[in-house]
Amino acid sequence: MTMDRNEILKQLNDIFIEVLDHEEIVISESTTAADVEEWDSLNHIMLVVEIENHFEIKFKSNAILSWKNVGQMMDTIIEK
Amino acid sequence: MKFKVSDSFHAEYVVNAQIHQLFLEISNDHNLLHTDREFAVSKGFKANVMHGNILNCFLSHFIGEGLPHKNVVIHSQTIQFNNPVYLDEKLQFQAKVEDIIESVNVVIFKYNFKNESLKSVAKGKIQIGLL
Repeated sequence: MTMDRNEILKQLNDIFIEVLDHEEIVISESTTAADVEEWDSLNHIMLVVEIENHFEIKFKSNAILSWKNVGQMMDTIIEK
Repeated sequence: MKFKVSDSFHAEYVVNAQIHQLFLEISNDHNLLHTDREFAVSKGFKANVMHGNILNCFLSHFIGEGLPHKNVVIHSQTIQFNNPVYLDEKLQFQAKVEDIIESVNVVIFKYNFKNESLKSVAKGKIQIGLL
Protein backbone atom coordinates (compact mmCIF):
# COMPACT_ATOMS: atom_id res chain seq x y z
CA MET A 1 0.00 0.00 0.00
CA THR A 2 1.59 3.29 -1.13
CA MET A 3 -0.81 5.62 0.67
CA ASP A 4 0.76 7.65 3.49
CA ARG A 5 -0.33 7.17 7.09
CA ASN A 6 -2.24 10.46 7.24
CA GLU A 7 -4.30 9.53 4.20
CA ILE A 8 -5.02 6.05 5.60
CA LEU A 9 -6.03 7.57 8.93
CA LYS A 10 -8.35 10.03 7.17
CA GLN A 11 -10.00 7.23 5.21
CA LEU A 12 -10.29 5.08 8.34
CA ASN A 13 -11.91 8.01 10.12
CA ASP A 14 -14.56 8.19 7.39
CA ILE A 15 -15.21 4.45 7.77
CA PHE A 16 -15.53 4.80 11.55
CA ILE A 17 -18.01 7.66 11.10
CA GLU A 18 -20.11 5.58 8.72
CA VAL A 19 -20.02 2.26 10.57
CA LEU A 20 -20.36 3.67 14.08
CA ASP A 21 -22.90 6.28 12.92
CA HIS A 22 -21.03 8.95 14.85
CA GLU A 23 -20.48 12.13 12.83
CA GLU A 24 -18.13 13.80 15.31
CA ILE A 25 -15.73 10.94 15.83
CA VAL A 26 -12.05 11.76 15.36
CA ILE A 27 -9.67 8.85 15.64
CA SER A 28 -5.92 8.95 16.04
CA GLU A 29 -3.28 6.25 15.93
CA SER A 30 -3.54 5.83 19.70
CA THR A 31 -7.34 5.44 19.71
CA THR A 32 -8.52 2.14 21.21
CA ALA A 33 -11.94 0.50 21.40
CA ALA A 34 -12.19 1.66 25.01
CA ASP A 35 -12.03 5.29 23.82
CA VAL A 36 -15.06 5.00 21.52
CA GLU A 37 -18.38 4.07 23.10
CA GLU A 38 -19.85 2.61 19.91
CA TRP A 39 -16.80 0.44 19.15
CA ASP A 40 -18.21 -2.81 20.54
CA SER A 41 -17.57 -6.37 19.38
CA LEU A 42 -20.22 -6.37 16.64
CA ASN A 43 -19.14 -2.98 15.33
CA HIS A 44 -15.56 -4.23 15.36
CA ILE A 45 -16.62 -6.94 12.89
CA MET A 46 -18.49 -4.35 10.81
CA LEU A 47 -15.39 -2.14 10.79
CA VAL A 48 -13.19 -5.02 9.60
CA VAL A 49 -15.67 -5.85 6.81
CA GLU A 50 -15.78 -2.23 5.63
CA ILE A 51 -12.01 -1.74 5.91
CA GLU A 52 -11.33 -4.91 3.89
CA ASN A 53 -13.78 -3.79 1.22
CA HIS A 54 -12.55 -0.21 1.14
CA PHE A 55 -8.85 -1.00 0.88
CA GLU A 56 -9.45 -4.20 -1.12
CA ILE A 57 -7.39 -6.29 1.26
CA LYS A 58 -7.93 -9.41 3.36
CA PHE A 59 -6.79 -9.56 6.95
CA LYS A 60 -5.70 -12.67 8.84
CA SER A 61 -7.62 -13.29 12.04
CA ASN A 62 -4.42 -13.39 14.12
CA ALA A 63 -3.48 -9.92 12.83
CA ILE A 64 -6.87 -8.57 13.90
CA LEU A 65 -6.50 -10.14 17.33
CA SER A 66 -3.12 -8.45 17.77
CA TRP A 67 -4.43 -4.91 17.25
CA LYS A 68 -4.23 -2.79 20.37
CA ASN A 69 -5.10 0.53 18.71
CA VAL A 70 -5.83 2.21 15.39
CA GLY A 71 -2.12 2.62 14.68
CA GLN A 72 -1.60 -1.14 14.72
CA MET A 73 -4.61 -1.55 12.47
CA MET A 74 -2.93 0.91 10.09
CA ASP A 75 0.34 -1.06 10.25
CA THR A 76 -1.51 -4.14 8.98
CA ILE A 77 -3.18 -2.15 6.21
CA ILE A 78 0.19 -0.75 5.11
CA GLU A 79 1.77 -4.24 5.13
CA LYS A 80 -0.87 -5.32 2.63
CA MET B 1 -15.43 -22.06 6.36
CA LYS B 2 -18.47 -24.00 5.08
CA PHE B 3 -19.27 -21.49 2.36
CA LYS B 4 -17.65 -20.50 -0.92
CA VAL B 5 -18.21 -17.36 -2.97
CA SER B 6 -20.98 -18.03 -5.53
CA ASP B 7 -22.59 -20.80 -3.45
CA SER B 8 -26.27 -20.54 -4.24
CA PHE B 9 -29.31 -21.42 -2.14
CA HIS B 10 -32.93 -21.70 -3.27
CA ALA B 11 -36.27 -21.87 -1.53
CA GLU B 12 -39.93 -21.29 -2.25
CA TYR B 13 -42.15 -19.17 -0.05
CA VAL B 14 -45.83 -18.28 -0.16
CA VAL B 15 -47.65 -15.57 1.76
CA ASN B 16 -50.78 -17.56 2.50
CA ALA B 17 -53.84 -16.45 4.44
CA GLN B 18 -52.51 -17.81 7.73
CA ILE B 19 -49.19 -16.00 7.40
CA HIS B 20 -50.96 -12.81 6.39
CA GLN B 21 -53.28 -13.04 9.39
CA LEU B 22 -50.47 -13.79 11.82
CA PHE B 23 -48.44 -10.88 10.51
CA LEU B 24 -51.41 -8.54 10.86
CA GLU B 25 -51.61 -9.61 14.49
CA ILE B 26 -47.94 -9.36 15.41
CA SER B 27 -47.27 -6.14 13.48
CA ASN B 28 -50.63 -4.51 14.25
CA ASP B 29 -50.32 -2.92 10.82
CA HIS B 30 -53.86 -2.99 9.43
CA ASN B 31 -53.25 -0.35 6.76
CA LEU B 32 -55.94 -0.46 4.06
CA LEU B 33 -53.35 -1.28 1.41
CA HIS B 34 -52.87 -4.63 3.17
CA THR B 35 -56.44 -5.32 4.23
CA ASP B 36 -58.89 -3.70 1.81
CA ARG B 37 -58.93 -5.06 -1.72
CA GLU B 38 -61.08 -2.20 -3.13
CA PHE B 39 -58.81 0.42 -1.63
CA ALA B 40 -55.69 -1.29 -3.04
CA VAL B 41 -57.29 -1.60 -6.48
CA SER B 42 -58.25 2.09 -6.38
CA LYS B 43 -54.53 2.84 -5.88
CA GLY B 44 -53.52 0.84 -8.93
CA PHE B 45 -52.76 -2.57 -7.41
CA LYS B 46 -54.30 -5.89 -8.49
CA ALA B 47 -55.46 -6.68 -4.96
CA ASN B 48 -54.50 -5.92 -1.39
CA VAL B 49 -50.74 -6.01 -1.05
CA MET B 50 -49.01 -8.29 1.42
CA HIS B 51 -46.77 -6.60 3.95
CA GLY B 52 -43.27 -6.37 2.52
CA ASN B 53 -41.84 -7.13 5.92
CA ILE B 54 -43.29 -10.64 5.78
CA LEU B 55 -40.37 -11.26 3.44
CA ASN B 56 -38.06 -10.39 6.32
CA CYS B 57 -39.62 -13.32 8.19
CA PHE B 58 -38.75 -15.54 5.24
CA LEU B 59 -35.19 -14.19 5.36
CA SER B 60 -35.07 -15.08 9.03
CA HIS B 61 -36.19 -18.62 8.17
CA PHE B 62 -33.60 -18.90 5.42
CA ILE B 63 -30.72 -17.81 7.63
CA GLY B 64 -31.87 -19.70 10.71
CA GLU B 65 -33.03 -22.92 9.08
CA GLY B 66 -31.99 -23.03 5.44
CA LEU B 67 -28.22 -22.95 5.65
CA PRO B 68 -25.87 -25.90 6.15
CA HIS B 69 -24.31 -24.08 9.10
CA LYS B 70 -26.83 -23.56 11.92
CA ASN B 71 -24.69 -21.56 14.33
CA VAL B 72 -25.21 -18.17 12.76
CA VAL B 73 -26.23 -14.67 13.71
CA ILE B 74 -27.53 -11.93 11.43
CA HIS B 75 -25.39 -8.79 11.61
CA SER B 76 -27.28 -6.68 9.10
CA GLN B 77 -29.66 -6.90 6.19
CA THR B 78 -31.06 -4.62 3.56
CA ILE B 79 -34.25 -5.00 1.58
CA GLN B 80 -35.57 -3.15 -1.43
CA PHE B 81 -39.16 -3.74 -2.47
CA ASN B 82 -39.46 -3.72 -6.24
CA ASN B 83 -42.95 -5.07 -6.85
CA PRO B 84 -46.01 -5.93 -4.77
CA VAL B 85 -46.63 -9.41 -3.38
CA TYR B 86 -50.19 -10.71 -3.38
CA LEU B 87 -51.92 -13.39 -1.35
CA ASP B 88 -50.95 -16.98 -2.26
CA GLU B 89 -48.32 -15.90 -4.79
CA LYS B 90 -45.43 -18.35 -4.98
CA LEU B 91 -42.11 -16.64 -4.48
CA GLN B 92 -38.84 -18.11 -5.66
CA PHE B 93 -36.03 -17.15 -3.35
CA GLN B 94 -32.37 -17.25 -4.31
CA ALA B 95 -29.40 -16.25 -2.20
CA LYS B 96 -25.81 -16.25 -3.40
CA VAL B 97 -22.68 -15.90 -1.35
CA GLU B 98 -21.23 -12.60 -2.50
CA ASP B 99 -18.31 -12.25 -0.13
CA ILE B 100 -16.60 -14.07 2.71
CA ILE B 101 -14.54 -12.27 5.31
CA GLU B 102 -12.73 -15.19 6.88
CA SER B 103 -10.81 -13.09 9.37
CA VAL B 104 -14.02 -12.37 11.28
CA ASN B 105 -16.15 -15.38 10.15
CA VAL B 106 -18.53 -13.26 8.12
CA VAL B 107 -20.53 -14.29 5.07
CA ILE B 108 -22.41 -11.78 2.91
CA PHE B 109 -25.32 -12.96 0.78
CA LYS B 110 -27.04 -11.20 -2.07
CA TYR B 111 -30.64 -12.36 -2.35
CA ASN B 112 -33.68 -11.96 -4.54
CA PHE B 113 -37.34 -12.93 -4.28
CA LYS B 114 -39.08 -13.40 -7.64
CA ASN B 115 -42.78 -13.83 -8.26
CA GLU B 116 -44.42 -16.28 -10.64
CA SER B 117 -43.81 -13.88 -13.55
CA LEU B 118 -40.11 -13.98 -12.61
CA LYS B 119 -40.21 -10.33 -11.66
CA SER B 120 -38.12 -9.37 -8.69
CA VAL B 121 -40.36 -8.38 -5.79
CA ALA B 122 -37.56 -7.75 -3.31
CA LYS B 123 -33.81 -7.92 -3.16
CA GLY B 124 -30.99 -7.00 -0.86
CA LYS B 125 -28.03 -8.21 1.14
CA ILE B 126 -27.63 -10.07 4.41
CA GLN B 127 -24.48 -10.20 6.45
CA ILE B 128 -24.17 -13.06 8.89
CA GLY B 129 -21.57 -14.14 11.39
CA LEU B 130 -20.65 -17.78 11.96
CA LEU B 131 -20.55 -18.53 15.67
